[in-house]
Amino acid sequence: MTSALHAEFLKLATTRLVAAMTGLAVALTALIGVLEAVTAGTGTGMAIPSLATADGLRDNLAATGFALLVAALLGVAVTSGEYRLKTATDTYLDQPGRGRVLAAKAVAAAAAGAVLGTAAAATATGIAFGFAASRGYPLALPGPDIARYAGGTVIASALLAAAGAGAGSLIRHQVGATIAVVAWGLVVELVVGATVTTVGRFLPYTAAAIMAGDTNGGGMPQIPRGVAALPYPAAAGVLAAIAVAIAVAAALTTVRRDVA
Amino acid sequence: MTVIEVRGLVKRFGPATAVDDLSFSVGAGTVTGFLGPNGAGKTTTLRMLLGLVRPTSGQALIWGRPYRELGDRRKRVGAALETSGIHPGRTVAGHLRVRCAARGAGRSRIGAVLEETGMSELAGRRAGGLSLGERQRLGLAGALLGDPEVMILDEPANGLDPAGVLWLRGFLRRLGDQGRTVLVSSHILAEVAQFADRAVVLDRGRLVSAGPVAELVKAARRAVTVRSPRAEALRSALTAEGATVRTAGPGRLEIDGLDAEQVATLAAALGIPIFEMTTDAGSLEQAFLRLTATEGRPG
Repeated sequence: MTSALHAEFLKLATTRLVAAMTGLAVALTALIGVLEAVTAGTGTGMAIPSLATADGLRDNLAATGFALLVAALLGVAVTSGEYRLKTATDTYLDQPGRGRVLAAKAVAAAAAGAVLGTAAAATATGIAFGFAASRGYPLALPGPDIARYAGGTVIASALLAAAGAGAGSLIRHQVGATIAVVAWGLVVELVVGATVTTVGRFLPYTAAAIMAGDTNGGGMPQIPRGVAALPYPAAAGVLAAIAVAIAVAAALTTVRRDVA
Repeated sequence: MTVIEVRGLVKRFGPATAVDDLSFSVGAGTVTGFLGPNGAGKTTTLRMLLGLVRPTSGQALIWGRPYRELGDRRKRVGAALETSGIHPGRTVAGHLRVRCAARGAGRSRIGAVLEETGMSELAGRRAGGLSLGERQRLGLAGALLGDPEVMILDEPANGLDPAGVLWLRGFLRRLGDQGRTVLVSSHILAEVAQFADRAVVLDRGRLVSAGPVAELVKAARRAVTVRSPRAEALRSALTAEGATVRTAGPGRLEIDGLDAEQVATLAAALGIPIFEMTTDAGSLEQAFLRLTATEGRPG
C-alpha cells in the first residue's frame, strides 16, 4: 500500500491537475464571493443579507459551493483520467492489486481535495473579511463558527474528492463521469432534495455544502428549501460513507474489468 | 527452464473469440518473436499474461504463476505495451519516477535506463512533446527499470523511423545477449528474424506455428528459379525427376523439390542451356505469409 500511495501522490505532484483544479475552484469562489459581497444587504434578486449580520457573513463565507463540485471533479480526473490517457496499463502493470490502487487514489484525491478546499475556504474568508472590514462592520460571527465553516469546506472537499475518485472508477469515461457528477450536484440533488426533503439532507453534495456553511434555502448552488441540516459530524459521516460505498461498488464491478 | 507458459488460453469478447485455445511456452534466456496479422490476438494474449485482461479460460503464467501472484518477483518482469499511455504533462524523468514509486523500487536505475534507450537528453521534456518513437523508447525505458529477467514487449517498433528500427534491433539483441528472456510482438518480420531465436505465430487467435526461427525460414524456402531458352524441355526432365514445376514468366521456371545443384546437373546432362538460376533462401516474412495465409488479405 505504501508504494501505491507514494505513486499516487507523486502522480499528482508531477502534473498540473491539482493546481489547475484549485485555480478553478478559487476563481469560482472568488466570483461568487465578490458578487455576493457587493450585493449583500441590497435585497435584490438572490442577494444575501448584509455582511453586518451573522446570516450575511455566513452566506458569504459559504461561497465555496462550486469549489466543492470542482473537488469532486478533481477526484473524477484522478481515476478516470488514467483511462482517458491510457496510463492505467502501466499503473496496473506496476501495481496489479486494483483495489489497493483505488484506495491509494482515493486517499491521494482526498489530500488534493483538502488542498483545494483550503484554498477555496481562504478565498471565501478573505473576501468576506475584506468586504466586511471595508464597510466598517465588526465580524458578526464568533471565530469558532468561522473556523468551523472553513474547516467544513476543507473536510467536505477532501471527502467529495475521494467520492469523485470512486465515481471516476465506476464510470471510466472521463467526460461521462464529469457530466454525471455535475448533473448529480446541480440537478439531481436539487430535484430530490426539493421533493423529498427528508432524504435531501443525506445527499452528498448537500451534506458537503451544509458543512461549508450553507443553509436551508441558501448557498450557490442553492440548498433546497425544507432540507434540515445534518449535524456537522453526521454530515461528515454521510460523506465518508458515500465515498466508501462508491469505492466499494467500483472495486466490485468496473475496477475488475479488463484494461484494454 | 520454461519461464512463460500459456496453456489452453481462451478469450472471448461477446460473440468474438480473440484467443482460441492457445498454448505455447518460452524458455529462459530466449528471444521469442510473437507474430501474427492484425487482430490475431497477440496484444490480448500479452495482456492476459500481464494480468490486465482476464482469460475466459486457460492460464497464462510467468515462472509458473499468474502475473498478479508473482509478489516481489514481479519486479523482475518488464513490459512495454503498445497501447500504454504516458501523461502528456509529466516529464520523461517524472514518468519514470512515478513508475519506480509504483513498483516500490529506488530511483537508482533511472539514469541508466535513460542512457540505454538514448533518452538522457530528453529527461526534462514533457511527454506531450515527444514523438511516437521517443514515446516508444520511454516505454522501453520503463520496462527496464527493474533490471528485468523477463521482458514482454508489444510492437516496440511501431512509430520508429528507420534509424529507430536499427537502434531497436541492436537493443533487442543486447537484451538477448544479456541472457534475458524476451517475448516481443512485431510486424516487422525482417527485424524479428535478425534478433529472435524462436517464433510463435498466431492467426485468428490460434497457434499456427512455434519453433526456432531458422526452421520456420527453412520451411518457407521456395523454389529454384531458372531461365532457359529450352524451358519446356527442362520442365519435362524436371517433372520426370519428381519436381514440381511452375511457369514464372517467359522462359522462366520455378522448381520445388530439387535443389539448385540437382537442377543444374540435370540441365547440363541434357545439354539444356541455363542463362540464369536463383535460389530463394526463404524469409520469415514468407514463412509468416504461408502460415497465416495472409497474402493478399487486407491487414
